Amino acid sequence: MPSDSTTPPGSLGSKILRRGRRTVLGMDPQGLIKNFFGANSSIAIIVLVLIMVFLLREGAGFLSTYHHELEIYRKAGLEFCDIADTPLKQQQSMASALRRALSMELEPLVKNARERRDAAFLYKRALDEKSAEGAAVFENSLLFTPGEKNQIKSEIAALTPESIDLPPTLQKLAAEFTEKDREAKKTFRAIIEAEEIFEEATEPVAEILDELKTHATETKEAANEFHTLEVGRQQLLGAAASAHGAEKDEFLKEAELSRVDAPDYAARIETILEQRDDLSKALGEYAAAVEEAVKPLQSDGLSPEAAKLIASVQKALPTHLNHIQNAARNLKAWKWDEPVSFWRAVSSFAFGTGWITNSSWQDFYGVVPLLTGSLLISFVALLIATPISVTAAIYTNQFATDREKELIKPVIEFIQAIPSVVLGFIGIAVVGDLIKGVSQWEFLSWIPGFPIQERLNIFNAGCLLAFMAVPTMFSLSEDALNNVPRSYAEASDALGATKLQTVFRVIVPAAISGILSAILLGLGRVIGETMVVLLVAGNRIAIPDFGDGLGVIFQPAHTLTGIIAQELGEVSRGSSHWQALFMVGILLFVISLSVNWCARTIAKRFEHSKA
Amino acid sequence: MNNPFAGDHSSIQRRETAARWLLRLGSYVVVLTTVAIFAFITVKGLPHAVKPGFLTELTSTLHVIESKDGKVFKTNPVEADVIKKRLGEGFQSEKTISYSGGGILGPIVGTALLVVVSVSVALFLGVCCAIYLSEYAKKGKFIEMVRLAILNLAGVPSVVFGLFGLGAFVLTAPVLTGTPADRAIFVIPLGFTNLSFQGWDTCVLSGGFTLAFVILPVIITASEQCLQAVPQGFRETSMALGATRWQTIWRSVLPFATPGILTSTILGIARAAGETAPIMFTAALAFKDKLPWQKDLPPLPADAGMFAHWEQSVQRFLGIFTESVQALPYHIYTLAAKIPQNEYSEQAQYGSVFVFLVLVASLAATSIWLRIHLRKKYKW
Repeated sequence: MPSDSTTPPGSLGSKILRRGRRTVLGMDPQGLIKNFFGANSSIAIIVLVLIMVFLLREGAGFLSTYHHELEIYRKAGLEFCDIADTPLKQQQSMASALRRALSMELEPLVKNARERRDAAFLYKRALDEKSAEGAAVFENSLLFTPGEKNQIKSEIAALTPESIDLPPTLQKLAAEFTEKDREAKKTFRAIIEAEEIFEEATEPVAEILDELKTHATETKEAANEFHTLEVGRQQLLGAAASAHGAEKDEFLKEAELSRVDAPDYAARIETILEQRDDLSKALGEYAAAVEEAVKPLQSDGLSPEAAKLIASVQKALPTHLNHIQNAARNLKAWKWDEPVSFWRAVSSFAFGTGWITNSSWQDFYGVVPLLTGSLLISFVALLIATPISVTAAIYTNQFATDREKELIKPVIEFIQAIPSVVLGFIGIAVVGDLIKGVSQWEFLSWIPGFPIQERLNIFNAGCLLAFMAVPTMFSLSEDALNNVPRSYAEASDALGATKLQTVFRVIVPAAISGILSAILLGLGRVIGETMVVLLVAGNRIAIPDFGDGLGVIFQPAHTLTGIIAQELGEVSRGSSHWQALFMVGILLFVISLSVNWCARTIAKRFEHSKA
Repeated sequence: MNNPFAGDHSSIQRRETAARWLLRLGSYVVVLTTVAIFAFITVKGLPHAVKPGFLTELTSTLHVIESKDGKVFKTNPVEADVIKKRLGEGFQSEKTISYSGGGILGPIVGTALLVVVSVSVALFLGVCCAIYLSEYAKKGKFIEMVRLAILNLAGVPSVVFGLFGLGAFVLTAPVLTGTPADRAIFVIPLGFTNLSFQGWDTCVLSGGFTLAFVILPVIITASEQCLQAVPQGFRETSMALGATRWQTIWRSVLPFATPGILTSTILGIARAAGETAPIMFTAALAFKDKLPWQKDLPPLPADAGMFAHWEQSVQRFLGIFTESVQALPYHIYTLAAKIPQNEYSEQAQYGSVFVFLVLVASLAATSIWLRIHLRKKYKW
């Protein structure tokens, strides 16, 4: 471009150059074009900023909304109820373990008698309904001897429509079952009693709690109503401030009309606090009763599975009792008017272990179960994808013939184009059943978690995500290997190293920074993936049970990305749930930016050290 | 003759071969898995996809009617009534399976519309950005920031783009309207009408723009590479002949970069067509019984002039972009997630997945093949 500074103004040269040039906004056309493109080039920055702005606009209110909700949660006394209620939830799992143990023992003893009784009654019903199928089942049944069958048949055939009494054989079968049942129950009296105590001991506590809960919920509803009205009133007042004359009076009048008093928390909480001592006492009694019931339980003479269940109950008991004691102590210390700190809202989101929404009691937005799910799935995916894609990259770059390269590279690049929803579908339709089928093979039962319960689980999602991450990791690793100067390999060859030594002692170490950053970028891809995890991860919102050791990867989980895709469509704009989902979006955004940043830093740092 | 001083290399050689095979295994596992997936989907999906009407009919609910003599009818809601009447006493049972009947014309059309909008937007913005980066930019803070932003944008999870699209396009983007909605953030009166920031609602435009930003990094990076691949000599020659910068770019650089840019655009199309999360809240519907242009408009009076007709067709055309649509990826998600798996739902599932995969894969394959081909052709 000719520059004006080289030609003095007014000279002939500058006149020629200026001829036919127009300026717009003080710029000549070339400058305009340049600035147009320049403005366009900042589009990526603008979009990143806009993403942040819009995420924040919808999500920023979350902490204050949630803080307000937690405040009501405390003032209305819901928190008080939860202090007592939470440890009791453990009781249910213990009781159900006892029940399972019991039925495991009872089942073999009474099974035959019960089945005989049921089969005979079913046969009678089948005849009443004239169902040929039901009759055929009875004919083929192995539970009866032919003689018995004939007798039952003849007795039922002899029935007249008027007769009320059951045929004698049927009566006998029923009596047989009752007898067996009674006998079996006598043998396992200790377990039955423990189970009954478990059920009954909670009743006084539950009774008090139910009453308190109803009361607290009422307070909460009143508080929410007051809040809604108050927000409306503030809006009216705001409108009044900017209006004039008659309109202003109108607004003010309306605002005055909608004024309601805040619910009287102090008065309402009294009802709850009155019961404080009773509740503590009931909890104490409960603890004593349970301890009494579980201690004498013995596991000798039981089947191994049942013994294991009983042992688990006995093992869990001390912690349970401890929790109950803590609860009783916390109930005493609890104050309804203690202000909820803002930090509580933050920590309840960041470290909260429950993501509970649409509950009639209290919603909690704890991100930990989702984060654990996301991280576990990504971890599994990386564990599978890294070896495969790095070996593939090394092979393609160092060993493959040109023919092989022409096959492998396009195919792997091609994987990138397979839509994630298709992979998710394959996960549901094929991989799930495949994994489940394999896990039932006898000789694989040593693997923790096998045989698996759920078709859709962390491992399944991890496998598919690994497949998705391969192209990213492969092509970036291959680039890194490609960028190693040829002289390195030549020097190594010249020293007499074999090909393998050259590759693993010289080339791969030189490219390690690129490979590491490729793995990290693969991680970024995997954490942000939505459709596969939404379809395949099983969508159970709970922290996976790490008690199983490695078997944890065969449990279902939910993820950060999945929860947004699943729930956002069903919530109303501006609600705390909506804001919480946008907060999760912000979290994802931040995670993806930091993963990117780490990848770049690693790539850079190693490059420096190499130089 | 053998070298008498050479040691015994056979063990080293064996190790070399073993390692080579181990590495080869990694590559072939990936290749074989890909082939297996394609083969499986083709075998299961092709028979359903070639059924008459699958590509040309709208989606409907599948009715499965069993008669007492064991015949099974698979049909749509309208014919189901007819068959039931005809069977009379012989009618045994009826099952309905949502979204699984008819064809997938609606989703195909929707995806095509979304792709057209997103690729036009992304291509314009992306190529302009690439031209600046490759032709104008000098090294500096600003350019470093731009490159950093492009890298980071490529790493943003697609569901976050969905949230962004929801916040920005569905709920905030400006529209021209005489009567601004209450939810508008602010309204700029223009005299004859208002520019109201109230959002576009869920529609093709919102979804298309959201997808455009998803594929923007791909397009920018690829376009810049193509521009940089044009030899510097072309520019220098043009400048030496007295052309301006813009003339140089327009006449001597862009024409040679265009084939490459278009090639990478095809890959962008495949990507845009395959994304689900960004359109979930911005454009996609699970079910719609009309094509976007089949809109109910009030019938024109008999004496309506040319202008009224013309206005209505414009309205009809614009309506295409302001309606929400079915889209193939979202359709597959609905089929996979919301309907229990059984022998009847399988047809629609595998059929749609096959069609979708073939569409996307053929786009990607074309792009990859073209690039290899172009690389051979343009060797400067």
